[in-house]
Amino acid sequence: MRKILGISALLLVVCVVTAALSNSFLSAYNLENLIRRTALFGIISIGVAFVIVTGGIDLSVGSVVCLVGCGVPWLLTTHGWPVPLALMMAVVASVGIGLFHGLLITRLRLPPFVVTLCGLLLYRGITRGFTRDQTVGFGAEFKGLRLLSTGEIPIPFVSGFSIPAPWIFLLGVAIASAVFLNRTVYGRHLLALGSNEQAARFSGINTGRMTMLAYVISSSLAGLGGLLFVLDVNSAQPVDFGNFYELYAIAAAVLGGCSLRGGEGTIVGVIVGAALMQVLRNMITLVTTHNNIEFAIIGAVILSGVVADELVRRRLRRA
Amino acid sequence: MERSNLSPNCMNAIPLLAATARPQKSSRLSRLAPWAAGLLAVLMIAGCSKPPEGGGSGGSAGTGAAGGTTGSGGAKKKVAFVSNGVASFWTIAAAGVKAAGEAVGVQTETLMPVEGISDQKRIIEDLLTRGIDGIAVSPIDAANQVELLNQAAKRTAVVTADSDAPGSNRALYIGMDNYSAGRMCGDLVREAMPKGGTVMLFIGRMEQDNAKRRRQGVIDAILGRPANPGNYDPPSGVIEGNGYKILGTLTDQFDRAKGKANAEDSLAKYPDLGCMVGLFAYNPPLMLEALAQANKLGKVKVVAFDEDDATLAGIQKGTVHGTVVQNPYMYGYKSVEVLAELAKGNKSVIPANQFIDIPARQIRKAEVDAFWADLKAKTGAK
Repeated sequence: MRKILGISALLLVVCVVTAALSNSFLSAYNLENLIRRTALFGIISIGVAFVIVTGGIDLSVGSVVCLVGCGVPWLLTTHGWPVPLALMMAVVASVGIGLFHGLLITRLRLPPFVVTLCGLLLYRGITRGFTRDQTVGFGAEFKGLRLLSTGEIPIPFVSGFSIPAPWIFLLGVAIASAVFLNRTVYGRHLLALGSNEQAARFSGINTGRMTMLAYVISSSLAGLGGLLFVLDVNSAQPVDFGNFYELYAIAAAVLGGCSLRGGEGTIVGVIVGAALMQVLRNMITLVTTHNNIEFAIIGAVILSGVVADELVRRRLRRA
Repeated sequence: MERSNLSPNCMNAIPLLAATARPQKSSRLSRLAPWAAGLLAVLMIAGCSKPPEGGGSGGSAGTGAAGGTTGSGGAKKKVAFVSNGVASFWTIAAAGVKAAGEAVGVQTETLMPVEGISDQKRIIEDLLTRGIDGIAVSPIDAANQVELLNQAAKRTAVVTADSDAPGSNRALYIGMDNYSAGRMCGDLVREAMPKGGTVMLFIGRMEQDNAKRRRQGVIDAILGRPANPGNYDPPSGVIEGNGYKILGTLTDQFDRAKGKANAEDSLAKYPDLGCMVGLFAYNPPLMLEALAQANKLGKVKVVAFDEDDATLAGIQKGTVHGTVVQNPYMYGYKSVEVLAELAKGNKSVIPANQFIDIPARQIRKAEVDAFWADLKAKTGAK
């Protein structure tokens, strides 16, 4: 828990500063937007966190977002598939990709970096192939399905503010993940595998199966994220949809306390990490007119936060 | 549309191949197995990517070869159209390229760079290496691509289309004057909000010459300045005058989620925002999404650029005041026509000012139905 204190404090500071500088930051409309974006990025970040906890990496997240995000509207609008069938296809593809990565990594012992890097190239390329590079989207159709992302759930006795639907997905995913990771023996196995794979294997854990599971979770959540992203944005272009999202996801997971060396990580931390990235981007638009140096500001704030966190921790250890 | 060079069936074979490569008993063999599988996969892609009718070589796997080749071999001249990215706009241009190729009897090909400027450079260099009789290009960063364009101009006929590179040795520029088109867009803003008000501009990126001039045209027309394409207002900072207040320009570098977030954040920051102007084709649909979710459709004026389906539907419904459309079909068509003449050595097609104007048009509710029908006929859409 202590590991995410620093990042939570940083998120709080950024929120307070932004609220002080902009009256609109705390408006219901802006908060709803922030919650929706955090939920979308949070879902793919939790997936990557599972892989990072095992000491692996998944660079294919953005391309899986692209594959599902473009594939589902393509199946629905260009080919007229019924909704359940298209969603089933998305599930099969995302789970299949995870299994494929897991097999290559555990059976062929290929480095996760290489396998998922090739995945990054492969899935975007495939998507561009079957869509023939055309922008896909729902137009004015599928309003019902789109409610999964654009819907809002009213809070009893509160008017003017409602909960964006993706938040429910994030909550479901987060609770299930946290319970799995902390309260089940499999979750413990996963963490054990991350801190020392050999020791875990010698103590009887089926490390291969656990690793596969981590990659399946990662690509499945990337697929879910891709679906929700496209339902929210309503149009997707295969060439850049979800580009670099793996980096946002990895950054959120690492900021949230997942060690890249494996063995540690908390789900709440990952969500806080994802929220921090989104609040920073929001802050830059709300309080400055320097949209172009956005990444510099994000980098500087996060870096100074991490440095401060490390310095404080050292002082506490000495005391 | 022709089939894309990479058929999905071929791509599906790759994972299967790699997955079936099981480790052998010998450790050396097991290390080789994945590489062998990879090599096989590459060979399969190469096999699959042969163009169906076998005439000419298609684009490489990394480029979005949308047009493919037309015509079937012989000693036909070959010309290529290189876009500045992948977009539906360029699909319309590709249709013009193809039609002109068939009309004047040259082999044509439309190539769309995926990864920005370095990819565009690679495509042009590869075309030159392969031997080509003419290239039309929409340069991504005109000022810094002069050297590349001059290099190309030494070896083949080069024209710029859609976006110009004024300092280079290109034979001529085919397109519209983005500054005047921007002014048309600015006039639509004044029409939508005759009593003045606040305006926010949204654009993909500002590095391109056409983007800069388009944006400047909008600003100058809104503020009622006399026409001067040399003006430049930096993107940060509020510009005020003539009863209008331009609050800023937000870029998204083609990330749709970011583009939508920009629109949402502006609505949050300025609850009384008067008008949103989307200057790249995909911006207005994202603005409409943001407005719909904020229940502000129709309350905030929307002025658009280009002819995305959602934009045109918005004009029909009255949620978009109007849009300024270019004529990408003619960009493609005219480019091939001119390049075919230049390839024959006929320099008389180059006008004195080296500019073939394909003017922009304003589309409002009155014009939208006829325009849309014509567009669908040209692109073969349903």
